[in-house]
Amino acid sequence: MRSRAARTGHLPDAVTGWLARGVIVFLYVPIVVVVVLSFNDSDLTYKWAGFSTRWYGVLAQDTDLLAALRVSAEAGVISATLATLGGLFAAMGMARLGPRGRALFSGSLFLPLVIPEIVLGVALLSVFGTLRASLGMTSLVLGHLVVTLPYAALIVIGAHRALDPSLDEAAADLGCGAWQRLRLITLPLLKHALLASWLLCFTISFGNIVMSTFTGGVGTTTLPLRVYSLLKTGLTPEINALGTLLVLFTFVIILGAGLRQMRRVLVDDRT
Amino acid sequence: MTVTAAPPAPATASPTAPASRSRLRHHGATLALLAPAGITVVALVLVPLALVVRNSFAAPDAYGGVQGGFTLANYRELIDPVYLKVFGYSLGMAALNTVVCLVLGYVVSYWLAGRPPQRQGILLLLIIVPFWTDFLVRTFAWINLLSPGGPVNALTDAVGLTDGPAQWIPSQGASFIGLVYAFLPTAIFPVYATLRGVDPSLGEAARDLGCGWWRVHTKVLLPLVRPGLLAAALLTFIPTLGVFVIPVLLGGGKNQLVGNLIVTLYTEFRNQPMGAAASVVLLALMILSVAVLGTAARRLRGKTS
Amino acid sequence: MAPYAVTSYAAPARARTSSHTLGTFPKGLAMSRTTLPRTLLATCVLTVTAVLATGCGGSGSDAGSSSGGGKELHVYAWAGEIPDSVVKGFEKETGIKVTVDTFDSNETMTAKLSSGSSGYDLVEPSQYTVQQLIGQNLIQPLDHSKIEGLGNLAPKFRTATYDAGNKYSIPWIWGTTGFAYNDTCIKSATSWKTLFDAKYKGKLYMLDNMLAAYIAGLQVTGHRATSTDKDEIAQATEALQQQKKVLAGYNSTNYPQLLSTGQACAAEAWSGTAMAKVVASDPHVHYVIPEEGGSIWTDGIAIPKGAKNVTSAYKFINYLLRPEVAAKATDDGSSASANQAARKLIKNKAALENTAIYAPDEAIAKADFLLDPGTAMQYFQQGWTKVKAS
Repeated sequence: MRSRAARTGHLPDAVTGWLARGVIVFLYVPIVVVVVLSFNDSDLTYKWAGFSTRWYGVLAQDTDLLAALRVSAEAGVISATLATLGGLFAAMGMARLGPRGRALFSGSLFLPLVIPEIVLGVALLSVFGTLRASLGMTSLVLGHLVVTLPYAALIVIGAHRALDPSLDEAAADLGCGAWQRLRLITLPLLKHALLASWLLCFTISFGNIVMSTFTGGVGTTTLPLRVYSLLKTGLTPEINALGTLLVLFTFVIILGAGLRQMRRVLVDDRT
Repeated sequence: MTVTAAPPAPATASPTAPASRSRLRHHGATLALLAPAGITVVALVLVPLALVVRNSFAAPDAYGGVQGGFTLANYRELIDPVYLKVFGYSLGMAALNTVVCLVLGYVVSYWLAGRPPQRQGILLLLIIVPFWTDFLVRTFAWINLLSPGGPVNALTDAVGLTDGPAQWIPSQGASFIGLVYAFLPTAIFPVYATLRGVDPSLGEAARDLGCGWWRVHTKVLLPLVRPGLLAAALLTFIPTLGVFVIPVLLGGGKNQLVGNLIVTLYTEFRNQPMGAAASVVLLALMILSVAVLGTAARRLRGKTS
Repeated sequence: MAPYAVTSYAAPARARTSSHTLGTFPKGLAMSRTTLPRTLLATCVLTVTAVLATGCGGSGSDAGSSSGGGKELHVYAWAGEIPDSVVKGFEKETGIKVTVDTFDSNETMTAKLSSGSSGYDLVEPSQYTVQQLIGQNLIQPLDHSKIEGLGNLAPKFRTATYDAGNKYSIPWIWGTTGFAYNDTCIKSATSWKTLFDAKYKGKLYMLDNMLAAYIAGLQVTGHRATSTDKDEIAQATEALQQQKKVLAGYNSTNYPQLLSTGQACAAEAWSGTAMAKVVASDPHVHYVIPEEGGSIWTDGIAIPKGAKNVTSAYKFINYLLRPEVAAKATDDGSSASANQAARKLIKNKAALENTAIYAPDEAIAKADFLLDPGTAMQYFQQGWTKVKAS
């Protein structure tokens, strides 16, 4: 019985496994082009004119672009953290609501998703204007929070609903307090969901154009806005160099984390 | 897999406390938990939304701003076959994109959840990193790849699929590739997040009981990750309607999505009231379709269980 | 490939169940032991560190809104039109700290200004937007007693109807709307008709911009680009609808690239840096002002209502009006300067010959400034919607 089951699962799992790997490769297809063209000696991104690293030099000197990178990274980290925390609390709170309240609340959470960003952006701008609030980092982060919150909320709520409620009940029966249950049960179980939510929210905020246009202010031109407005003068391989460095930076993190894990495994083995 | 409200009161902890007080505390905690997201939504979404709804009934001034007054003209103008076509095309494109992304999203999530736990975080990072490169730069990379005589063309030439330069850009197909590419992470992440919380022993048990691969997925795993799939569907379907750069750059901009339409109304036409009206119609359509989907899903669930 | 997916997915849980009595509980415990939180933590910490590291040198992002002193200037401009060298030179000379933010369309800039809390001291609208900003009361009249060097501007930028006498705006950059073609595909072209020619079906592009499209539509049907006549606009709409069948698409982002790679035989185009680069580097690509007239545009400097650092703003305007500074718009920014006196100071002589930067005087003799269509906007809107949805 078991062996038959194992055999039937073998082939489809292998096929879907390769399909999944294929999808990840697909995600990197344009990135390869971006990396290759970052070493282009030409002013134009699309015509190869020999190998050069000069665009990395240009990038290092480009204070405007680096300032924009900093604004985007800051806004991304702050809004992703706020959105994910908001999503986590909302998921825990919603589990305590009746079905009607839950439907209403989750419905209102995905509202910002349904309203086209430009419409919401312009409306938010006039709200800020009415409040005489000066535009800047705060308004930019609030705008990004609106955009990312539905993603965080839907991911965390979805993951929370899939949890087995008996775990929490059992822990409560055993006398665990709310904080203990959160720390020992809910958070460990939702860890991957929280990571997924944070990464997705950061990425959405980091790449956002439309909302940033309307909620940014003096000195908060974000990276995508900068790149988008550079179209008027034509993009150079400098932007490719920046993309390459970001990918490289992440790979260094991944490698670092991997090495540490390996060491931990070795240490664990010894003890 | 419904989570009924958490245990109403820690009865074991304080058996002497009056029930009403602990209920009060329970409600207080619920409110406190819902507050951050709730306040954000009310202050930064519902208030602006009220403004949008109000503006949709206003007349535009000579410069496209909002003049005030009350008129249905903005909605009346939207009842035009021209706009219906845009809405219809967008819905079709979004639906197709959602289906493809969901299937791929489920496959990747299932594979991902099967990796050693400590490697999953890294793989998630690996999936999201390509999206830290600017969107326009990535899109231009696709244009380079798909252009006549480009790398993909060279490959298909070598294999014998094409003969000479192929005109793939701009096209609906290129536009679709761009859409799928852009929305893959939004489809993968929610499904993965949910799948990760599902007890893996359930699938294992089903397998032990002799369920085939297909049945393990359709009868055991898929129903369990339904919240994640639903989230992924919403997060893919709705934003696809609002996309406006991809159809222009990869699709040639000859077919508009609702996103293009509303952006055009707001910027080029400088007609905010009508843009607001189009958004309200879009909002109503979305709420309606979510409600219909929700009812259908509930019916279906009722039948199967 | 072992049946890795299901089995390894289940492995930790199964291993745990053997040592624990609770069936479903241990998975959470098993997971809390994994190193994932460290990966997550490392990612966050490193990202935050990187953010802070790059941030130390930069200016505070909320800067300026608090300190209303005269040592700051907040400029909102088209990207690349005010070269870095100009900004740096001004900062060095005056000690005023300049923040330049960039926008990609007049409409976004207008939306920001109309909110009333944008915080900018100088903006750079195109000519028809100057009209709209005046109408919406969003920019202030310039005090000519504080301005030196207006006489350096070319005469056509001093008398243009959208802002005659430069009451509200000082033109800085100018350019044209025409088209470009690749001579490997079309031998030579002088008329808008090229863009409507079925011979080049699938190799033609138009700018994805209503006003720009109607310049071609109106002029090819024998009307002026500034027309506000309902019937004339309807004829243009008809022509543009017919044209859509032969177009490969609408594009206002990477058309210079499409022309250079030969994917486009001809494309409607704006002059300026992106187009100029391709014309300069690719001998096959030519930019022309169509014989029907084409159109000229200009991006000028204006002071918004409620600007806080008005004194600095005037200083910057005067700085921009200096011929040697205006010459940098061409030398460092590859744009055409509206400053007549700057012409002889331009070092890059090739730029003066590049039609995608400086169109020859005789070519633009018939070209109009595109103006705000006013109430005729509704005809354009209805027409363009029909074109785009057909």
